[in-house]
Amino acid sequence: MARPMSPITESLTPIAKGLAVTLRHLVTMLRTRSKAKFTVEYPEERREQYPRTRWRHYLTRYENGLEKCIGCSLCAGACPARCIYVEAADNTDTERYSPGERYAIRYEINMLRCVFCGYCQEACPTGAIVLRKEFELADYDRSDFLYTKQMLLEPMSVLVRPKPKPSVQPEAA
Amino acid sequence: MASDLVNITINGTPLQVPAGEMIIESARRIGVEIPHFCYHPRLSKEAGANCRMCLVEVASPRKNPDGSVTLAKMPKPQTSCSLPAGEGMVIETETPAIIEARRGILEFLLINHPLDCPICDRGGECPLQNNTLHYGPPTTRYVEEKRHLPKAFPLSEHVVLDRERCIHCARCTRFAEDIAGDAQLGFLKRGADMEVSVRTGEQFTSLFSGNTIELCPVGALLSRSYRFRGRPWDLMTQKSICTECSNGCNIKLDHRAGRFVRVNARLNEDVNEEWTCDRGKFGMDYLSGPDRLTTPLVRRGNRFEAVGWDEAIRRVAEELGQAGRKSAFLGGIRSSNEDLFVMQRLFREVLGSSDLDHRVGPSFDAEPVIGVGQGQVARAPMSLVELEGLSLFISFGCDMAWEQPMAYLRVRKGWRRGALTIASVARHGTAEDERPSSLAPISAVRVRHDEGGELQVALRLLGEVLRQGGDGTAVPAELAAKAESAVTEQGADAEAVRRLALTLFEAGKGASDGRSVAVWIGEAARTNRQLPDILQTLSAALSAAGVHGVVQVPAMEVNEQGARDLGIAPTWLPGYEQADPAGRNSAEILAAVAQGDIAALWISGLDLATRYSDPAAAVRALESCPFLVVTDLSLTKTAQMADVVLPVTSVAERNGTYTNVEGRVQRFWKAYDPPAGVRQEWRIAAQIAARLGTEIHYASSREVLADIAARVPLYAGCGPDALGDGGVRWASALAGEVGR
Ligand code: SF4
Ligand code: SF4
Ligand code: SF4
Ligand code: SF4
Ligand code: FES
Repeated sequence: MARPMSPITESLTPIAKGLAVTLRHLVTMLRTRSKAKFTVEYPEERREQYPRTRWRHYLTRYENGLEKCIGCSLCAGACPARCIYVEAADNTDTERYSPGERYAIRYEINMLRCVFCGYCQEACPTGAIVLRKEFELADYDRSDFLYTKQMLLEPMSVLVRPKPKPSVQPEAA
Repeated sequence: MASDLVNITINGTPLQVPAGEMIIESARRIGVEIPHFCYHPRLSKEAGANCRMCLVEVASPRKNPDGSVTLAKMPKPQTSCSLPAGEGMVIETETPAIIEARRGILEFLLINHPLDCPICDRGGECPLQNNTLHYGPPTTRYVEEKRHLPKAFPLSEHVVLDRERCIHCARCTRFAEDIAGDAQLGFLKRGADMEVSVRTGEQFTSLFSGNTIELCPVGALLSRSYRFRGRPWDLMTQKSICTECSNGCNIKLDHRAGRFVRVNARLNEDVNEEWTCDRGKFGMDYLSGPDRLTTPLVRRGNRFEAVGWDEAIRRVAEELGQAGRKSAFLGGIRSSNEDLFVMQRLFREVLGSSDLDHRVGPSFDAEPVIGVGQGQVARAPMSLVELEGLSLFISFGCDMAWEQPMAYLRVRKGWRRGALTIASVARHGTAEDERPSSLAPISAVRVRHDEGGELQVALRLLGEVLRQGGDGTAVPAELAAKAESAVTEQGADAEAVRRLALTLFEAGKGASDGRSVAVWIGEAARTNRQLPDILQTLSAALSAAGVHGVVQVPAMEVNEQGARDLGIAPTWLPGYEQADPAGRNSAEILAAVAQGDIAALWISGLDLATRYSDPAAAVRALESCPFLVVTDLSLTKTAQMADVVLPVTSVAERNGTYTNVEGRVQRFWKAYDPPAGVRQEWRIAAQIAARLGTEIHYASSREVLADIAARVPLYAGCGPDALGDGGVRWASALAGEVGR
């Protein structure tokens, strides 16, 4: 069996190894005089995200403003983190939120538990719940991570806005 | 028996089954599941075999002219739910032809099916979904317009019908006709237009309508109270007991996020089979009702003030301690056995009072079961299974389908088999004659009397029995004379009573052992205090003449039987030991309260101010009560008159046991946490005892039950380890039978 390293050697060795990598890159950069940039000046600058990036959820609407969500709870059933809560109610002729008989009167996602797997989006039979590219979801209070239906529902205004650029729109099929 | 067995082969596995058993059932014996919709083991086969889902290929041995035997395959697949097993049959359930046929059937069933699973309350527990997933085609070739009908058509206040989803399996109609007996559902029209319907202008008022929701293999019949309240995967399920009547149906209690959602039947062959009644299925919303109390209340002048438990318990303990022997207890028919046992210990052992009673109003003082023979077992209430095998059942002022729903189904089942005769005695114009589900239409003898005429009918019956050969030696002369004069009196019911007496003797003939006749006394006939004496005499006269039976006052509330068994009564202790000294019954207690002879009254789980037979008298007594403490779930009229109101846990929020109408001790399990600020009743009683200086120490409900089993010989066989899921009848345990 090898002799155990002294504590000092043990902690200094990895640091030295790491610095060696940095040094190697520095030397390469200087030698090749490359202008290539690996970082951006976030938050002033942002990178284009991959088309299938999945971050903040939205509940979408049809062209006519009706909610796509029918409160079926299939998303909640598919969610591996068990972080969606759906409560359904009857649409009436005077109070109609979605086409058909049923709509979600309560829809909540606990963003602290969500693992952004996108299974909810995949399970949804109407394409109501989608995950888009907004990733800046940090907040100060635990309770603020409980996204309610009001927070998740697309505002009516998006419907009259010009269509968003296709590159930022990985909608559900 | 052996001669009744035939040899068959299913998928290459040889097995022996009873001749005539349907192949779908035989296949189950070896774990071969044949997909099906319309088949149900408890429903008649006549209108069945219509979904064609259960197809199998069959070959039967055929004798050739030369004497040799060859297997002849039936040219077409057969429906295994209507194919009786015969000697030598060879059945295949998974051939390519069958797989193809199933696909075809499913594609056909889905032609007119909306497939709106995401908004269908059956989605997730739907046989049509499941079968389509396992056996169906992945896509449809049908592009034409489907059948369209208005969604969610209300059949009654409990049930909606989505006619688009119906696959015409006739389960619901067969249930209504065979089991519930109301036959309220039927088919209208033919072909694709066929629809389930009640008669025009009528409502689906059956008392058993909820079962059709569970039977329907699609989301056509659905519950209105469960509508859109959750999907199956949102729900948690706990084993529980229905609290709405004494029959103690085993249920699955579904809850979500700490709130009650719905009730489904839980299989118990000895109690409810797989049924529930509508009182239970749609009556348990109170569990998460908006009016649940969540903190103790103490009266300050004209209003209640919410207080902490310490203060409430101190107050009650003080008052009860001062009252001592002058304290009394009423109710308890909705409390668990554990609650009741500790409660009666508090009153008897700590306070020294014998004034306990569970009965509401001046009902019978006599023993609740009047049977032949001596000893506990002979006096045990009749079991529900026993009812099926009787030769005569007499409902005496009992609205069976409402008061005793599962007993009603058993009696009806016995009648359908043909060996059971039914007689009904009731007042003119009661619900019994108007209900769609009722024993009246199938009663061989119907005696109808005017208001208050029960006594006259009983006397007349006694007289007839004595005349027709009953043994009169033990009948007091005075009563015999009364009975004789009753017979000679004119009356519209005279002929019917004579027939009833004849039927009694007929039913008794040949049946030698114990119980071939049962008389169940219902709520309407309970107020007459002389009735049990007469019926007891009648029972003795009959039994001496060889007609053995039981006259029973069946329990009505969920744990009324438990309250009886555990001595919430002035004259007997737990296990029907004689109480010495005897206390006062409910009527006497209320009178004593009014006279100032009782200083503290505890009412548990009973709205005396509305439920007492003379509500005004009850209110007067309660108003003059110096100290009234009420334990309940909500602020009932009685609770509003209390000095202290203590909120208690519901059936869903704790473990415990109830004893049902047949004396079966059954467990229920905690489903979710109680609201903060409510306590279990027996713990309250124990805490009060502790304050008064007596330790009644139990760590859990289980320990209380173990102590009951140890101390009360009647419940010796009903300890926590013996009960299992389906409960144990104490009478069976005493008689040494296992499992019933
Ligand atoms: S992304 Fe995944 S974890 Fe997050 S809510 Fe959807 S299903 Fe649940
Ligand atoms: S988001 Fe989609 S899957 Fe979730 S409840 Fe609404 S419709 Fe159903
Ligand atoms: S009945 Fe079954 S198959 Fe039909 S819509 Fe409902 S869940 Fe789907
Ligand atoms: S309503 Fe349901 S149970 Fe009745 S026939 Fe239609 S599918 Fe069968
Ligand atoms: S189950 Fe056999 S035909 Fe329906």
